[in-house]
Amino acid sequence: MPAPATTYERIVYKNPSEYHYMKVRLEFQDCGVGLNAAQFKQLLISALKDLFGEVDAALPLDVLTYEEKTLSAILRICSSGLVKLWSSLTLLGSYKGKNCAFRVIQVSPFLLALSGNSRELVLN
Amino acid sequence: MATLRRLREVPRHLLVCEKSNFGHDKSRHRHLVETHYYNYRVSFLIPECGILSKELKDLVMEFGPYYCVKDLPLYELITHEFINTFVKKGSCYALTYNTNIDEDNTVALLPNGKLILSLDKDTYEETGLQGRPSQYSGRKTMRFSAEGSMMMSYFSGYGIQEHQPKIALSTTPDLRCPVLRSGLLGGEPEAACSTRELFDWLGAVFSHAGLNNEPYNFVSTYCCPQPSAVAAQASLCTITGFILPERICVLLERLCRYFDEPKLAPWVTLSVQGFADSPVSWRESEHGFQKGGEHLYNFVIFNNQDYWLQMAVGANDDCPP
Repeated sequence: MPAPATTYERIVYKNPSEYHYMKVRLEFQDCGVGLNAAQFKQLLISALKDLFGEVDAALPLDVLTYEEKTLSAILRICSSGLVKLWSSLTLLGSYKGKNCAFRVIQVSPFLLALSGNSRELVLN
Repeated sequence: MATLRRLREVPRHLLVCEKSNFGHDKSRHRHLVETHYYNYRVSFLIPECGILSKELKDLVMEFGPYYCVKDLPLYELITHEFINTFVKKGSCYALTYNTNIDEDNTVALLPNGKLILSLDKDTYEETGLQGRPSQYSGRKTMRFSAEGSMMMSYFSGYGIQEHQPKIALSTTPDLRCPVLRSGLLGGEPEAACSTRELFDWLGAVFSHAGLNNEPYNFVSTYCCPQPSAVAAQASLCTITGFILPERICVLLERLCRYFDEPKLAPWVTLSVQGFADSPVSWRESEHGFQKGGEHLYNFVIFNNQDYWLQMAVGANDDCPP
C-alpha cells in the first residue's frame, strides 16, 4: 500500500562529498605494458608513497572501475587526499623502466558526473 | 601549516536535496526541468524491469534531432529574419560546439531569446559591448535545436548536419539497490538510505562500478549502501546529445505514470547532466569550469508520486534554485 504524500523539505549541503572521483588513463610513450587491476592499484600506491611517504600511501583509495585494454580507471579518494593523489599522478613518469604518464580526464565530487563527459561529444 | 591546509583543500561543491509530491500545487519539478537548458546526457533506471514498454521505447526514440552548423558568424543570430523565423516561435536553443568555457569564447542562445556571450578580455574589448565580468574569471561551430526542416533550409548556405542523440539500453541482472523511504531524506540507520547515499550509488551503477566488494578487497572496497535489496533485473537507458528540456519533461511525466499500474519497483530514477561548457546552469545563473564543469540533477520517483530531487553543482556555480 503506497504511503501518504510527503511534505516539502529542502536541504542544501555544502561540500558534502567525503570522496572525490577521478577518471584517469595511463599512457605509455612506447609499447605499452599490461597491468591488471591489482598492479594498477599498486602503481597508484607507490606513486603516493614516492611523493608523500608511507602515511599517505595508506590514504583510502579505491579503483572503482578498470579497463585493462585502455588502462583507464575511475578512482575514488577521500576528499582530503585529492590534491596529494593528483600531484602523485602528475609526477609519476615511469613504470618498470618504461616512460609513461597519467592523463586526468575528469574530476568531480559526484560519481554520477563521471558517467558522461560532454567534452567527448564528437560531431563530424 | 598553511601548506598542509592547502594540500587537504577541495573545490567548493553544493548538493541541494528536496522532497515533495508531484500532486502538490507548488511543486517546482516542471520549472526546474524547463529552466535547465543545455542537457548532454539523460539516463533513467527502472528496478525490477526486464524490458521497457513500447511507449517508453518510442518516447526515447523521439529525443532528436539536433543540428550542427559549421563556421556560423555570430551576426546571423541577431538578424531580423533569424529572430522572426526561429526565436519568436520559442524553443530555439543554441550553444557553441567544442569551446571550453574556461579557455574559449562561448555563446549560448536561450529559449527566451537572450544571447549569452562568455568572452575573453580581448574579444570583449573588441566587441565594444557592455557586459559584466564573469563571477569566475577567470566561434565557431554551434549546436542548435529548433524547428527541423526550417533549420536545414535556413542554414543551407553553411555546412549544416542533422544529428540524432545516441541511445544505449541495457538490462542488469541481480542489481543491489538501496532501500529508500520517501519521507526520510536523511535516511534512518538500518531502515532507509539517505539521499546522498542514493546519489553516490546511482553514479556507481551508471559508471559500471562493482557494488558488492568486500571490505578487505585490495582493489576496491565500494559496496551498495545499507539497507539494500536485490532487484532480479533492472533496465537502464542513457540518451546523449543535445537534449531539449521539453523532451525531458515528457519523459518525466511518463515515468511518473509508470506506477499507474501496480509494479514491483518501489521507485525509478531520472538523471540529467548538463554540458560542462554551457555558460549557464539553471535559468541565467552563470556556470563555470574549475576542476570540473558538473551541473546535474536527479529525480527519484516513488510509487506514491512522492519524489526526491537532487541538484549538484561545482565550484564555479551559484546555488541551484
